[in-house]
Amino acid sequence: MPRRRAGAAIPEMFRFMLEKPSTEAYPFKPIQLPERFRGKLDIDPAKCTGCQVCALVCPASVITMVDLGTRKVGDRELKVRRPLFDLSTCIFCGECVDNCAFNALELTKQFETATPNKADLLMNKAIVK
Amino acid sequence: MSTPPNQQRREESAGLMEYSTESLVPFGPIHPALKEPEYFKLVLEGERIVNVIPRIGYVHRGLEKAAESRPWVQNMYMFERTCGICSFVHSLCYSQAVEELTMYQVPRRAKYIRTIIAEMERIHSHLLWVGLMGHWAGFDTLFMWVWNDREVVLDLVEAISGNRVHKSMNAFCGVRKDMPENMEDRIIERMKFLTDRARYYREVIDTEETMLKRTENIGRVSADTVEKLCAVGPMARYVGFKRDVRLNDPYAAYDEVPLDVITTTQGDVHALLRLRLDELVASANMVAYAVKNLPDGPIRVKIPPIIPAGEHSSHCEAPRGEIFYFVKSSGGRTPDRVKSRQPTMANLPTALELLKGQTLADIPIVLTAIDPCFGCMDRMSFYDTETNKRWTWSGEELRQYGINYYFPERAKKKSGIKKAIGPPTNQYPREEF
Repeated sequence: MPRRRAGAAIPEMFRFMLEKPSTEAYPFKPIQLPERFRGKLDIDPAKCTGCQVCALVCPASVITMVDLGTRKVGDRELKVRRPLFDLSTCIFCGECVDNCAFNALELTKQFETATPNKADLLMNKAIVK
Repeated sequence: MSTPPNQQRREESAGLMEYSTESLVPFGPIHPALKEPEYFKLVLEGERIVNVIPRIGYVHRGLEKAAESRPWVQNMYMFERTCGICSFVHSLCYSQAVEELTMYQVPRRAKYIRTIIAEMERIHSHLLWVGLMGHWAGFDTLFMWVWNDREVVLDLVEAISGNRVHKSMNAFCGVRKDMPENMEDRIIERMKFLTDRARYYREVIDTEETMLKRTENIGRVSADTVEKLCAVGPMARYVGFKRDVRLNDPYAAYDEVPLDVITTTQGDVHALLRLRLDELVASANMVAYAVKNLPDGPIRVKIPPIIPAGEHSSHCEAPRGEIFYFVKSSGGRTPDRVKSRQPTMANLPTALELLKGQTLADIPIVLTAIDPCFGCMDRMSFYDTETNKRWTWSGEELRQYGINYYFPERAKKKSGIKKAIGPPTNQYPREEF
C-alpha cells in the first residue's frame, strides 16, 4: 500500500460539502422514532388489579404500592392497592411492562420529560379517580 | 574573552541538571484528556516520561455490594449500567453466569440475537474509539465523519431494542425482544455500508500525514511485556497473540458464526487503529451472516425468580477485552456475591508501560489507545503489601474510616465508636506535592 500520500481525505471533504447537514432540526421538526422506542411509562387504571408484580421487579424503585382501603369479595375483606410511579428515577427498561399480566402498562413514545417541577413526574393516575 | 551567552546558559543548565533531573507532574483526576476521573503521577525527565504511578478508585460506585441486596433480575439492569458503551455485554456475561446455575437452556434463536446485538455494540464502540483517536491526534474531521457513521449502527440498535445505548435486551435464558420483521435487508445493506466506510478510514489513517505522525512508533511495547502484564482484548492482539474469548471459549452463537480473529505484529498505536478497523469489518460480516442464518424457534424460557444454590463464573469478549463475572447463590432471591472484572483493570499495567518513554504531549493519545473506561473498573479490596494480608471491611467500618479520614477531631471525641479492623487503622497520609 502506498504510504504518506496526500489527499485521501479530500474527495470525502467535497462529498460532505455538497450534502445536507447530518444533524436533525429537532425542536422545529418532529423527530422520527422507531416502533419499539422506550419512552415515558403510562398506565391504564381500568386494567390494573394491584397485583404488585411491577413493584417487585422494578430495578429503579419507581413503583410503590399505596393502600386504598379494603373491598369485600364474598366473605373475605381484601386490601385494595394501586401503584404510584415516581418517573424521575425510571430507567426505561420496560421490565414492569413485560411482567404485567393484565397489559395495564405501556412505554409510550414520549421522551420529553424535562420539567422544572419534580412533582410533575409523579404519576398517580391509578390512585386518583 | 568572555564565553558566549548561549554557551554560558547551557553550562548553567547542565549544572542544574545534576541535582534535579526528574520532576513530578500530577495528571488528573480532572483533566481534559480524561473523560473519567483518574489520577496519574508522572515522573518526567525533561519532556520524556520515566515512570507513571496511577491512583485508581475515583468512581467507585459500590455495584458489587449493591447487587447483594437486589433480586437477580434487577441486578441485570444494574450491571448493564456498569458501562455506557459496552452495556449489553455486561448483562450478557452476568446472565450467562446465572444461567449456568439453573437447569434451563438458552434457545438457539436467542443465542443468535445476542450475537447480533453484541457485534453491533462492538462496531459502535470501535467507531467511537476511532473518532476519539482522530480527535486526540488533532484530526477532528475524522472524528466528525466517524461519529456520523456511528449513527447508522445506533439507529439499527434502536430499531431492534428500543434504545440506543442501554439495550435491555437480555433476560435469563433468552432475550426479551425478537428481531423485527422485514429488517434483514436493511441490516445487511447497512453492514455493507459500514464495511466500505471502515475500509476507507483504513486508507485515510494509512496515508494521512496527520494520523501517521501522531500514531506511528508511539506506544511501542514488546510481546513479552504484554504477556507478563496479562493484557486482554485488542491490547493483546496488536502484538500478535491470538487471544479472544469468542475463539477460545465460544459463548452465545460464536461457535456457529464464522469468526475472524485479527492480529497484528506491528505493536504501536497505529497498529491498534488498523486492528480495530479490521475487527469492525469482521464484526459487520458476522452480523450479516447471523441475520441471514437466523434460526426459527422460541426466544426465551421463563425461569423462576429463585436461583438454585451454587457458584459459577462467566467471561465474554467485550469491545475492550475480556470481562469476567463471578456469581454465588445460596438458593435465595438475591445473590450472595457478584464479582465483576472489567478489561480496563487488566489493561492498565500495559498502558503504564506504553506511557514510559513517550513525551508529555502523547499522553492523551496513548491513554485513549487502550480504550480506557475508568468508571467501569473501580472495585475495592484491602491488601497490605508488607505482610501479604487481605481483609474486608463492613459498612460500619467503612463509615468509621471515612469519619477518621475527613474529620480526625470528631473521631477522637467519639471514642465509643468501634474502630476499623485491620491495618492501617488511622488515616492514610494525604498525598502531597
